[in-house]
Amino acid sequence: MKKRFNTFLFAFIGSSCLLIAVLPFVTSSEYTLRVATVIIFWIGMAGCWNITSGYTGYIDFGPVVYFGIGSYATAIAMTKYGVSFFPAGLIAGVVSGLIAFPIGLTTLRLRGAYFAIATFAFAETMKQVVLEFDRTFGVSFFQGSHGITLPIGGHDNTFFLYSFGLVALCIILVQARIENSKFGYGLKAIHEAEQSAEISGVNTTGVKLQAYITSALFLGVLGGIQSYWITYITPADVFNVHKTVQMVIMTLLGGMGTFLGPVVGAAFLTLLSEILGTAFVEYYLIMVGAIIIAIILLMPRGVIGTIKEATGMRLPS
Amino acid sequence: MAQLECLNVGKNFGALVALDDVSFQLRRQEILGLIGPNGAGKTTLFNCITGLEKPTRGKVMFNGTDITGVRPHRICRLGLVKTSQIMEPFKALSVGENVLIGALYGAMLPMKKAIPETEKILDFVGLAAEKDKLSSSISVPARRRLELARALATGAQVLLLDENMAGLNPHEIDEALTLLGKIRELGKSLIVVEHIMRAVMGISDRIIVLNYGTKIAEGTPKDISTNSTVIEAYFGDKKSFLGLNEERTSHG
Repeated sequence: MKKRFNTFLFAFIGSSCLLIAVLPFVTSSEYTLRVATVIIFWIGMAGCWNITSGYTGYIDFGPVVYFGIGSYATAIAMTKYGVSFFPAGLIAGVVSGLIAFPIGLTTLRLRGAYFAIATFAFAETMKQVVLEFDRTFGVSFFQGSHGITLPIGGHDNTFFLYSFGLVALCIILVQARIENSKFGYGLKAIHEAEQSAEISGVNTTGVKLQAYITSALFLGVLGGIQSYWITYITPADVFNVHKTVQMVIMTLLGGMGTFLGPVVGAAFLTLLSEILGTAFVEYYLIMVGAIIIAIILLMPRGVIGTIKEATGMRLPS
Repeated sequence: MAQLECLNVGKNFGALVALDDVSFQLRRQEILGLIGPNGAGKTTLFNCITGLEKPTRGKVMFNGTDITGVRPHRICRLGLVKTSQIMEPFKALSVGENVLIGALYGAMLPMKKAIPETEKILDFVGLAAEKDKLSSSISVPARRRLELARALATGAQVLLLDENMAGLNPHEIDEALTLLGKIRELGKSLIVVEHIMRAVMGISDRIIVLNYGTKIAEGTPKDISTNSTVIEAYFGDKKSFLGLNEERTSHG
């Protein structure tokens, strides 16, 4: 069964990569490419949330903060210090990961709603810091609510499709690895019964922190690429709580704690909004909301979770 | 040398003194019974030993090193593990995976070695047939054995069992006692908290008795069963009960 699962995994990842790789050559529609890029972007975002919250059950309500930090790190590195895009993207990941360390260390001691509130508060605080920093200290660093305009590199959509694709692939591989590894069992043990995990030898603080920092790192990189793609960032946009909500909903729809969940959820929700958004411009949000509620009611464990339950597909130990 | 030693351990919860000046030694391959009425501090003592609570006073020594206030997962990796009174399996995981976590993290085995080790232990406690079942779907006696299996998988030398036989019928208790004997033969030491007197008297080499957080007696099962302080703690003061009647009659 393990072998069959791995074969399936490789087949899935391989064919998705191939699909993304050939997409720019089979379609000339910029619209299709952009939608594909947005889907892949959200697959990455939702996957990041899944790494921390999906496996441990610690509901992070402020992951967007690392996205925002990554965006600003890239923007500042590129505009102020003239760093080129690729190193700037990596800097974004490193900066996010470094900030995640003390924040994770303190907030991961909280449980349930308290953790959600603390992470949410941190994200909102960072937004305010970026907004008010320059005015308070009389410097010109974050540019406050004016935002930062990044240099336009003249890259086409294909470039960003591939960039996001590469990062999303890494995020999926990390999750796939989690499912059947020691690290993954540690996370799942924390999800089920944290005290039992601790007395069975799981360094619960360390394992939670590793997951938290990993997802922060990838979120930072995603933020970096996105800021270069959009070329204009403001605190209100990159620290927007809607991004958090979307990551959460996509993962819940697809299935928490499964690596395919965020993929299915992100693709479904993005396509749904896109299709309904063009067909019913005025009412589409009501329809999307109703569909989300229906799915949550019918499949509380998400699409993949429900399929797993129905088929009795369990990973062997 | 004692494998585990508590030196004047005390624990306060605010104004409540849950444990006061408890000292005892556990020798290698010994089964030590720990008894006492409800609220005597048995679980608190276990929590102080395994690091879930930090003792307010005193020291816990394990193999000659001071482990007072060390984090629970570190204590587990040193070789000291407890099973909970309230069964807390990793519900969404299978029986095998539950034990695997102990082997991966407690014994720090790599996956390749942890899987055969898990199978060996499941076989040992008699859960091999339930390996792929969800741990939330198995019976109470099986869950009790699962707790033992997870503790064994961590490779610990000392096992603290907090009411591991609660909810078992007499036949299942006998089976559990046989299993504890087998665990001792593996070279492990056990501290057993139990309310079932027949079980704890039968299997323990020595027994210590806690009441209101202090150790009131220590000795062989035979000594304990005739110890007047212990009888008083459990059943109340026989003399005062009779004395009350005597007083009444004498005054009447």
